[in-house]
Amino acid sequence: MTIDFYWRLPTHGCHGSIRHGAYDRGDWSPLGAHNVAPGLDRYGEDDGFRYIDHLAEIAKAAESSGFIGGLIPSFPNTDDPWVISPLLARETSSFRFMIAFQPGFLNPVHAARMAASLQRATGGRTVFNIITGGGGPAQLWWGDGFSHDDRYGRTTEFLDVFKGVWRGGGFSYDGRFYQVADGGLSPLLAAEEIPEIWFSGSSDAALQSASKHADYYLSWLEPFDQLTDKFARVKERTAALGREQKCAVRVDLVARATEEEAWRDIRAGFENLTEERRAQGRGGPTDSVGAARQQALKPSEARRYDELIIAPNLWGGFNLLRGGPALGIVGSYEQCAAKLDELIARGTDAFILAGTPHLEEAYRIGEEVLPLLGRQAEALLHAAE
Amino acid sequence: MTIYSYWQVDVTDAATRSEIGARPRTPTVFRDVRTRAINRYDYYAQIAQAAAQTAFDGVFFPYRPDSDDSQTVAAAIAREVPRLALIPEFPASVGSAVYAAKQAVSFQRLTHGRLGWAIARPADAATRASDGDHVPDGQLVERTEEFLTVARGVHGTRPFSFAGAHFEVQGGGFEAPLNRVAFPRVFLQGEDEATLALSARAADVHLFGAAPAAVLRGRIEQLDALASAQGRSVDYGVIQQVLARETDDEARQDAARAGVAAPAIIGDYDSVAARLGELAGLASITSCWARRLRSRKPIALASMSFPASAR
Repeated sequence: MTIDFYWRLPTHGCHGSIRHGAYDRGDWSPLGAHNVAPGLDRYGEDDGFRYIDHLAEIAKAAESSGFIGGLIPSFPNTDDPWVISPLLARETSSFRFMIAFQPGFLNPVHAARMAASLQRATGGRTVFNIITGGGGPAQLWWGDGFSHDDRYGRTTEFLDVFKGVWRGGGFSYDGRFYQVADGGLSPLLAAEEIPEIWFSGSSDAALQSASKHADYYLSWLEPFDQLTDKFARVKERTAALGREQKCAVRVDLVARATEEEAWRDIRAGFENLTEERRAQGRGGPTDSVGAARQQALKPSEARRYDELIIAPNLWGGFNLLRGGPALGIVGSYEQCAAKLDELIARGTDAFILAGTPHLEEAYRIGEEVLPLLGRQAEALLHAAE
Repeated sequence: MTIYSYWQVDVTDAATRSEIGARPRTPTVFRDVRTRAINRYDYYAQIAQAAAQTAFDGVFFPYRPDSDDSQTVAAAIAREVPRLALIPEFPASVGSAVYAAKQAVSFQRLTHGRLGWAIARPADAATRASDGDHVPDGQLVERTEEFLTVARGVHGTRPFSFAGAHFEVQGGGFEAPLNRVAFPRVFLQGEDEATLALSARAADVHLFGAAPAAVLRGRIEQLDALASAQGRSVDYGVIQQVLARETDDEARQDAARAGVAAPAIIGDYDSVAARLGELAGLASITSCWARRLRSRKPIALASMSFPASAR
């Protein structure tokens, strides 16, 4: 049994420490002498670096410490994964680029050409993280007026067309959202492998779309029993359609040599929170079912960091410390490995891990946690049989 | 007055070079140790690096739907040629104008503002239908213009709202730091009146196909008149294939081998330089013709693959 471990590239800057809220990596906060790529040199001038130089460091750290690739997230105020991936293609060698995107924003035939070209540029290192949810004002910001369930219908059709033209010439399609007459990629492009497709979304519409096209179903970390049920539902639904779908978890870790050190960082981060940051943690209006499930944890109401420990080594306040999901794993290297092993035993087939700061933590988790994985998972699996 | 010169990296030219599928399948005498790690992107990067070292201002990547995507190629080589402007050509049917603008902003941020946008001329109706593009012939100019209006709108204004026939957005626009970079220079092409009128309204640079100087002069005057009526000025350029050798005979021999003919400029170095100089001279003619437009920056695009004789 082998498991794919991805790291995460922070596309909206990064903190120098989980203890502090300032995005001092990149130009996402006011530039100062401490900013990393781009920053100001000792004379107060632009130092000539760009944020991609920092992302390149993270990708290379992840690649050399055992990760198969990285998730490249996309939101209104981030850099774009379709641009980042080819920019880094030629200075990485095994790192897979997991491009997060909303398929509704691209012509599926053109997207197939872009993806096949990127496969050629990278030797087949392109992976898709298809995102469809979100919704609310953000969706109109993107210029997308379709309803939640329509967006999933459109995603399904997008992938029908995307895969259809990839088989080569003579492809026609007459859908509600897309129509193609006698299309298809040229042999040069069609010879490439179709990227592995990761899907997320917790609603019924999402699960239905995922069960048709996804290779991996991706979820944020949720309480383990809840997650186990969800994965069972996904696998059951896909099996009913005669397909197989693997399940993956995206989760942040604070892994330290001892558990005490790990909680010390969480506690310091929690005690440094500003009221503004707490308010952001409450989240805005959304029709994303996954986001609503996370908001139900109510981390922004907590007064002490340990009120948010929902199970041993599981902490529900990560969204206060940085943007993203609330639940994450905190503990010693061995404890973190044990938690990941438990998730493997409960049906997790792949992971996207993250830690702050992303550069240093890629090395730490790659070197200290990944090598400990597997032994307990195998024992747990054996016991379950 | 400055004249910019760009080299063309044609993704279809010399398709056998560095192409994995073109490597010999039958046993050969030489021990072939090439792996997939050596591929055509190395060649693209090499051409761009050669253009950088020989003082070109940038590279132009034509849209070739059967080959590598121009924007992917431009990004893949961008970090190896730190100075060059990168101008991928792509059609206005790529998807959402907002998303295209967002990608452009990232490209600009991450490459020190070196991106240009060349919007390809629309293909015929059957080709468009095979690309999932069903905008009718009569609305293609309008679609390109809306694409640029929305992309420039979300780039330059926040909040930006627009509801057109092809694109819409509500409360759009980029926050800091995405709003700190310039919008890419927009290059449009075409010889017909509707296209020239579109350029007069929406292009930063209009690219003409190669033609005799007298013909180009007429088109430039037409473009200038249309742009003046809009209170704008539009730079112009020529996409000019060249094949230059030490002697005229050698140039003609290689041109015949490669199937290169007029309107390509073929000849010895001095004569090719003189012909390009003649094209450059069109700029000073028009800048006298319209004093207001004196700051215009004509663009010459040389489109021969590198090196041509290798085919």
